Amino acid sequence: MSNKNTEMLSVTGLSIGYPGRGKEQGMIFSGIDATAGKGELVALFGRNGVGKSTLLRNIVNLQKPIEGNIMVSGKEIGRFSPNELARTVSFVSTERISVNNLRVTDMVAFGRFPYTGWTGKLGKEDSAVVEKAVQMVGLAHLSHKNINHISDGELQRVMIARTLAQDTPVIVLDEPTAFLDLPNKYEIVHLLGRMASENNKTVLFSTHDLGIAIQEADKVWLMLEEHLAEGAPEDLVLEKSFGSMFSDSRLTFNDSTGEFRIRKMTKKKIGITGSGRGLSWTKKALERIGFEIDDNASNLSVNVVRENSGKFKWELHSPGKVKEYDSVYRLCSDLKTGFSNI
Amino acid sequence: MCVSMVPVEKQKNMLLFLLLGLLTVGLFTASVFTGSVHIPVSEIARILAGGEPLRPEWKTIVLDLRLPRALTALLAGMALSVSGLQMQTVFRNPLAGPFVLGITSGASLGVALVVLGYSWIFTAGHSLPGNWVLIAAAWLGSGAVLFVIMLVSVRVRDIMTILILGIMFGSAATALVSVMQYFSEEAMLKSYIIWTMGSLGNVSRTQMQLFLPAIAAGVTISLMSAKVLNALLLGESYARSLGVNISVTRFTVFISTSILAGTVTAFCGPIGFIGIAVPHIARMITKNANHRVLIPATILTGGVLMLISDIISRLPGHESNLPINSVTALIGIPVVIWIIIKNQKFSKMV
Repeated sequence: MSNKNTEMLSVTGLSIGYPGRGKEQGMIFSGIDATAGKGELVALFGRNGVGKSTLLRNIVNLQKPIEGNIMVSGKEIGRFSPNELARTVSFVSTERISVNNLRVTDMVAFGRFPYTGWTGKLGKEDSAVVEKAVQMVGLAHLSHKNINHISDGELQRVMIARTLAQDTPVIVLDEPTAFLDLPNKYEIVHLLGRMASENNKTVLFSTHDLGIAIQEADKVWLMLEEHLAEGAPEDLVLEKSFGSMFSDSRLTFNDSTGEFRIRKMTKKKIGITGSGRGLSWTKKALERIGFEIDDNASNLSVNVVRENSGKFKWELHSPGKVKEYDSVYRLCSDLKTGFSNI
Repeated sequence: MCVSMVPVEKQKNMLLFLLLGLLTVGLFTASVFTGSVHIPVSEIARILAGGEPLRPEWKTIVLDLRLPRALTALLAGMALSVSGLQMQTVFRNPLAGPFVLGITSGASLGVALVVLGYSWIFTAGHSLPGNWVLIAAAWLGSGAVLFVIMLVSVRVRDIMTILILGIMFGSAATALVSVMQYFSEEAMLKSYIIWTMGSLGNVSRTQMQLFLPAIAAGVTISLMSAKVLNALLLGESYARSLGVNISVTRFTVFISTSILAGTVTAFCGPIGFIGIAVPHIARMITKNANHRVLIPATILTGGVLMLISDIISRLPGHESNLPINSVTALIGIPVVIWIIIKNQKFSKMV
């Protein structure tokens, strides 16, 4: 309760589900409690179908909650007038918008909708805001391009610039990094982080790109089976929450490296010696092909040696035999074929 | 939207509107000056200036026939086109037109009830029902369909559901009309068929006093909806997140479309294709998605195209007329086909 003043967005006792009456109404998720502060980038994680989109649609008031409260700057979301809400919360959905003859600035200018008069004509100030938004997302050079002729990554930036032009304290985005290539994913999340910290916005976005998001997010909302866990990404790692997100799958979370890995049937134990990068990457490779690293393994072990030239070499010790390899690839293929029956 | 309205573009638009305006005036004049009866240009000018022509019947032809007819063509073209544009935007569907809500079918049902039902009520010694009765029947018919659509759209969120319901209501009305046609007398059947072919020549000067204000009202409403129509380009979710009240918007747009398409259908019969084709032509010549530019461009283009269709349908120099509905179809269909082939991306046209 002490940090109540900084809470821009707070969700209490929220139940969400399919709209409908009586039996048709389907509860997806209940008992959601979460908050997001000013200037915070909040990443929403959860498995497919857990209700991330539904939660976001509830927060932007496109859907009514079954139960519970959503407050934005201390006011219940349902109590805002449509225009007031449009000046408070902006939204980017997963829908790929395609309108003919619409240029980048035109799309960004839609953000000024709640501020213009009945004709929709932009004033000088509106135009300046739009221009600034286009610049912030780094698209000034494309401002007159047709939105049907730009890449997915660029279009996503345009949609984000639109929320900047809408000038709302809260920005909600549904999977803004889906369908983008890796550099674009990083860039978009980084941009969202900048918007939160530089413009003091509360930015809430859902994503599946966990590794990228936890590098930038101030807070994570994690939708687990039964409840929503929230905290700094590191808190959730230490609480072992990430691991439980995938507890019913074959995925395991390594809470010292922050990596996920498919759990494989371990065939054989293997020992490993060496140091530094060579050791850690060789470990990864051995785990990938299904070995369990065990320093007490007696009859099979690998020694990673770094030669004076800087190159690595690998010695495979098996009972009565030592074999040398010049790459991890060769070592692995030999282990997979020749030694699989040891 | 006007951020990008750099001065060059503003000038381009001004030039375009000027050209369209001149074309409208030119075609309107041509429409008044041509017809099956040859009247010298100087005589027409004299009549229009309020003078007396050499032959008194020329005055009747110009003032009571040609002028109302040209005005009807102009207004009908404007009305159908702008309501087509609104429907394409609201339904985000390039093939939507003024009649997707089933408005024409409703009007047809009204007219069929009067024309074909007339012979059942007044079994003998009947004459055809008067023009005003047909207009009232068509209006009531389209109004009834609109009312049902409104009731549905309050309950139904999904705009596609409304589109499908509109089409279903339309088909149901058409089916009822077919049943009535099957059981009706030949003379009545013929007068109904003639109504379905459309006509721009039935609006008398008295009726114009109702026709003109109705179209003006519908066009004004649509001009005032330009801002929300722009937002609807992004779909209803985005529009709502921008602060658009979807129910109010749907209500306004449906009312405007019904006034426009319903009135034209009531006075001129069901006129096809103008409403679908013209908004696409307007998009192509303006290269703009902004309704503040698109609506005026659509209105002017619609007037121009309907005036051309009317002039063609009157076959200048001949005694007979072609049904206006066939002419608009024969002009409209190639336009739609041309646009599809030229753009290859018809689904993304709106």
